[in-house]
Amino acid sequence: MQALGCQLERARRGESEAMSMLYRQFLPGVFGYIAARVPDRATAEDLTSEVFLKMVEGISQLRATDEAGFAAWLLQIARFTVAGYYRKRERLPVLVSLAPSAQEEEAGGDSEALLRSPPSQDPAARAETHDEWNTVVSAINTLTEEQRQVLVGRLILGYDLATVARMIGKKANAVKALQFRALHSLHRLLEKQGWPEQASHVQTRQRGGKP
Amino acid sequence: MKPLSQRLNDQLERGGKRIRNSGEAPGWLASPLQAESPDPEVDELVALARHVQSHPHLHAYPDFADLLERRLLMHHASLNRKQPGRQRFVPRLWQAHPALGIALGICLLVLLLGTGMLVAAAQVTNPANPLSVIKHWEQHVQVSLTNSPENRAEWDLQAAREQLDRLAGLANAAHEEAYLPALSAFNQQVRGAESAIQALPAGPHRERLSNELTALDVEARHTLRGWLPQLDVPQRLITTDELGRLGDRVPHLLSIAIVLSAPANEQATISISGDNIQPGAQLLVDGQIMEAQGTYQDGLSVFTINWSGSQHPASIGILNPDDTAAQTTVITMTSLTNGSNGNNGEHGNGKNGRKPTRTPPPHH
Repeated sequence: MQALGCQLERARRGESEAMSMLYRQFLPGVFGYIAARVPDRATAEDLTSEVFLKMVEGISQLRATDEAGFAAWLLQIARFTVAGYYRKRERLPVLVSLAPSAQEEEAGGDSEALLRSPPSQDPAARAETHDEWNTVVSAINTLTEEQRQVLVGRLILGYDLATVARMIGKKANAVKALQFRALHSLHRLLEKQGWPEQASHVQTRQRGGKP
Repeated sequence: MKPLSQRLNDQLERGGKRIRNSGEAPGWLASPLQAESPDPEVDELVALARHVQSHPHLHAYPDFADLLERRLLMHHASLNRKQPGRQRFVPRLWQAHPALGIALGICLLVLLLGTGMLVAAAQVTNPANPLSVIKHWEQHVQVSLTNSPENRAEWDLQAAREQLDRLAGLANAAHEEAYLPALSAFNQQVRGAESAIQALPAGPHRERLSNELTALDVEARHTLRGWLPQLDVPQRLITTDELGRLGDRVPHLLSIAIVLSAPANEQATISISGDNIQPGAQLLVDGQIMEAQGTYQDGLSVFTINWSGSQHPASIGILNPDDTAAQTTVITMTSLTNGSNGNNGEHGNGKNGRKPTRTPPPHH
């Protein structure tokens, strides 16, 4: 915590190295949060870039001095960015595109995406993973913002209860309850969609076995 | 049994430690937690958590992370290039012109000290405080800047009110030295306000200010009377004088006659005549309360006291039961020792007089 406070201070003063360290530390959390909210990786990457650019622009005005405060600030930017993405999408007319679909694009629609894709997965496995993940994303989007932040803090950033409590401004017991309710709701929603069988199938395919 | 949320949290933390210790990938189906735990509901949630946690979609690819980092650093550098001047103006000035920087710093320091001193002086109540000189200067400047007679009268009245407020903090035996000049300053301010109001042309403004002055007089009388019991004798004497000036009924001594009896008796009879002397008043000799038997009749108080020593008293006074006090130095002394009504004269020369026996003043 103390070290992050120093990094924050240095980043506020405009030191690039500190900015890089903050970015590397919080990329998994921000990307995980966004990827859990949007259906495809390309969008998650675009929105993650947007969040970190806003971080660079706004860090000099930031008042937070500890890790929990900084994480809360960054996730708030991420939340607004995702909300903005969905608002824009609502305004767009629904078009039937002849261009490759999101999963097709992810699977190799352009050379950059091809480079980024993990080489171990075959296209069929990726498509199944994508479908399965879409189900998870839909379920995660029905959670409350606090529940989502608790899941990100606990599962992706790996924070303890006390840090997540500071991050969302609640007590540790409330975080426990939010964590339980989040996973319980997620489980209930996914069960309706055939989870865990679907996930089991995907995981088996990912390991290279037969479903 | 622990609540579900607690059990879930315990399982998640145990699983997290196990994964961290063993370095194994958190696969949700292969998790050994399921086999060990007798809590299927919690196990399902833990499995779901592990599944979400390890899902490849939640993890950024390294090449994307590197690209974004480079992009961020470029953006950061371009931002730094755009806004360097505003942030670093003072350090640059300091480096370029150190003398100018020092002069600027000294000016700021002087300005701060001066302002602080003026503010501190405005709060001073004790006239003995060195800052009171600055305060008087501030007041003088304020008065001289007030050019219209109406404003000046208003200002005098306001100053008198403030002085009365400040007096409240000094109205006790511990602040005797500060109280007397402060009361005198209050008196001057009331008189100043009075003259300023009288100098105004007749009209509603003057009438309003006259009413305010009358209200201040009434308030001051009430306040000063309230303080009397907690004051020392010298403070009570000057406060009584002030009450008199404010139009209150206070004692006023007209004449003091001391008749000394034969030396063997060592007795003196002190007759005090005056206005507003109350029955039960105590005798003051040289500002000290004396043990004396007294009678009161038709505005004349007569006290009989033990008299020893040879000095003529400098002052004789009375302390009324309502704590107002008055004294005078105009004393007529008569001795019966030489067989005649010999008069030692006013302000007695003290040659044949004897010093009275004093009792210590009461503690307030």
